[in-house]
Amino acid sequence: MQLPLLASTFLTVFVAELGDKTQLTIVTISGTSNNTLAVFLGSAGALVLASLLGALAGGSLSSLIPPAALQLAASLGFLVIGSRLLIRVRQEAS
Amino acid sequence: MSATSDPSSGSTAGSAPTPASVPEAGAPEVSNAQLSGPEASGAALPASFVSILFTTFTTVFLAELGDKTQLAALLLSAQSGRPGVVFVGAALALICSSLVGVLLGRWLATVLPPQRLELFAGVLMVALGLWLGVQAAVQLLHAPTAAVLQTPVAATLLPGSSVPGLILSLG
Repeated sequence: MQLPLLASTFLTVFVAELGDKTQLTIVTISGTSNNTLAVFLGSAGALVLASLLGALAGGSLSSLIPPAALQLAASLGFLVIGSRLLIRVRQEAS
Repeated sequence: MSATSDPSSGSTAGSAPTPASVPEAGAPEVSNAQLSGPEASGAALPASFVSILFTTFTTVFLAELGDKTQLAALLLSAQSGRPGVVFVGAALALICSSLVGVLLGRWLATVLPPQRLELFAGVLMVALGLWLGVQAAVQLLHAPTAAVLQTPVAATLLPGSSVPGLILSLG
């Protein structure tokens, strides 16, 4: 068992992830939706798959897909969810 | 659920109207209402389990790819030469951090009124989307000067690069 490597990976990733935009997203979705289990399963599955790709690809993923294109797709997702929330707030207010 | 419970309650009511059968029929509805959280009593939209799962997965996955966590995992994997151990450590840390995020959101939902939380979350998401979109568009259009144009304020000061970036991120 590579316990030091496991512990250092865990600590590095956990500290890097606290307060990140990904965790802000999870807090937002969890606070405004009514199914906690679905939010947890969806976010944990996405993060595990992303880290699997990161550990396996070893740099080849960023050469296949430019990170800016992925970021652009993520920004569109944020805009869709945010505007849906704001529309819902307006509908509830009126 | 209701289609299967209705004939049983109808048959018990027809044969013998015992009061003990009424709480048994009502028990699953109470547990479902408790599971769905405090907004279920309000005017929240009835989103299904699968749609919430899909939305969360897509957003978090896209936001996480190319993020600094993945770069750290990549770096550790390349340094150690043991991608399996790195994957297990990173996956455990990410599951813990997403659990922290979900519990924090649940706690916020009990503290703040739902409408104010939705307004705050919507503004935050739109701001994050604009910020990420401007960053990504600037990187795509002007790759060498991407380090200078980190903030949207700096991007709007330079009209040549910011206007196509804003159009790309909004459209």
